Amino acid sequence: MALMSSFAPRLSDADLLARIQSYHWWHSIALREGLTTFGGKTEAILAQEEQALLSPFDLAGRSVIDIGAWNGYFSFAAKRRGAARVLATDSYIWNHPIWRGRETFDLARAELGLDVEALMLDPPQITPQLGLFDVVMFLGVFYHLYDPIEVMARLRGITRQLLLVETHSDLTDQARPGMVFYPGAILNQDATNWWGPNPATMLHLFLQLGFTRIFYRDHPTLGRARGIYAAFTPEVAEGLILRFDDNWRDLDVPGAIEALVTA
Amino acid sequence: MNEAELRSAMGAHRWLQSLRLRDTLLTPGLKSEAQLREEEAALFDPLNLAGADVLEVGAANGAFSLAALRRGARRVLATDHLPWTLPGSDALSATQWAAHALGAPLETRAQDPRELSAAFGSFHLVLATACFEQWFNPILALRGLRSVTNRILLLETMQDALADARPIMMAQSHHAPIGGVQGSWVAGWAPNPPLMLQLLIDLGFDRILYRNHPSLGSARGIYAALLPEAPDGLLAGFAAPWANLTHPQG
Ligand SMILES: C[S@@+](CC[C@H](N)C(=O)[O-])C[C@H]1O[C@@H](n2cnc3c(N)ncnc32)[C@H](O)[C@@H]1O
Repeated sequence: MALMSSFAPRLSDADLLARIQSYHWWHSIALREGLTTFGGKTEAILAQEEQALLSPFDLAGRSVIDIGAWNGYFSFAAKRRGAARVLATDSYIWNHPIWRGRETFDLARAELGLDVEALMLDPPQITPQLGLFDVVMFLGVFYHLYDPIEVMARLRGITRQLLLVETHSDLTDQARPGMVFYPGAILNQDATNWWGPNPATMLHLFLQLGFTRIFYRDHPTLGRARGIYAAFTPEVAEGLILRFDDNWRDLDVPGAIEALVTA
Repeated sequence: MNEAELRSAMGAHRWLQSLRLRDTLLTPGLKSEAQLREEEAALFDPLNLAGADVLEVGAANGAFSLAALRRGARRVLATDHLPWTLPGSDALSATQWAAHALGAPLETRAQDPRELSAAFGSFHLVLATACFEQWFNPILALRGLRSVTNRILLLETMQDALADARPIMMAQSHHAPIGGVQGSWVAGWAPNPPLMLQLLIDLGFDRILYRNHPSLGSARGIYAALLPEAPDGLLAGFAAPWANLTHPQG
């Protein structure tokens, strides 16, 4: 249902291209035939990430929140995969005077005509008042937070079934849980990067926060440098998980971390 | 109470720390009197506590708080969280009983350090020993400690990742003798000195001193962090083995 676009006058292709070009994009999103946003992440990479992140799950009828949605690629993907309700949230990039993320999200949403809600929300402000979501997506945000432990605890409070985390990793050759702190702009010349956890740390945090099953896979294109985690609450419904392919491993079993480190 | 009565009342508690109640009466604590004494000296000898308001976080049985009172502190508030609040814990009542037995005007309060804020009060000296390794979220706990400190923070902690020059903390889960008789699992973190330095700087401390634990070496570290409001004179007592991390001497 093209709710938004039915009210806004449809832009000509030339006008849409001009609008696209007036913004910086992180996600390459095909808005129309032949009109794709020029994102730092290519369509091909995003397709692989989407496949890695979302294909194990049946999102039909689920509620999904996307924390740090930026241009909205994964929110749109969840909606297209049948989610009943998708709430895209962001703050830093959405309010940023150069990145103007909220405007990019609004443009893409209107063009795609997807019924995705948007909320200006900084992760440290997450509260149970947001309600519970079957699936919480926390992709590329963990390492941007000075206090990711607090935000993980807050995420637990809004997760009904599944918390999906994608993050930069460090100390990946160590089986003991640890995380590296990056003062200033040490990591990738980006002053918004703070922490690099290893898989053992993420497992530790998930378990401490009351997630009971935790699965892990390497990033589809960047490998061990970034990790993808699916952490389930005890309330997970049978039907949510379709199938974890061979890239995934069960992390909450004895020896799993040691096996991962030597793999 | 005569000594026999004291001894029997003492036996009704489980002790985390060995507190000297009388010349011939020592609480049978898991941490020895000798280790507590050497840690007390390492922590407090550089400072003059006369007239100071002191807050201790993670006080266990209050050994260091009681020492601060002996050293002339005006007001000492001992707090602890899990060891004083977990079901079956006895450490708070043991601490209160010991302070009473010593006639020490020790204040006590169960308090989650993550929930400390300026409204709680303001203390010249805030002390936290063996806490970082029991804090699930040390970032939040340190922020709480900072909010109630007006001069100096003393922090003693387990350390890890010492071979790495990058700031790192390693997660710790260990079984601790807190809560009921069977003890409890506690999750926390062990930082390395580059991390502690950075976290303390980020909290606004501008002079940060460090020394190894008096007998355990760098497996444990002691940090003294001064706020800009703290006079430079406070630094005078920090002789070797203390090193100034923020202003290394040439
Ligand atoms: C690397 S992008 C990830 C975007 C998208 N989720 C993805 O995976 O492609 C990081 C996102 O984290 C958000 N974010 C949240 N808190 C932040 C903070 N404190 N500093 C920087 N970025 C933050 C940014 O606004 C941005 O949308």
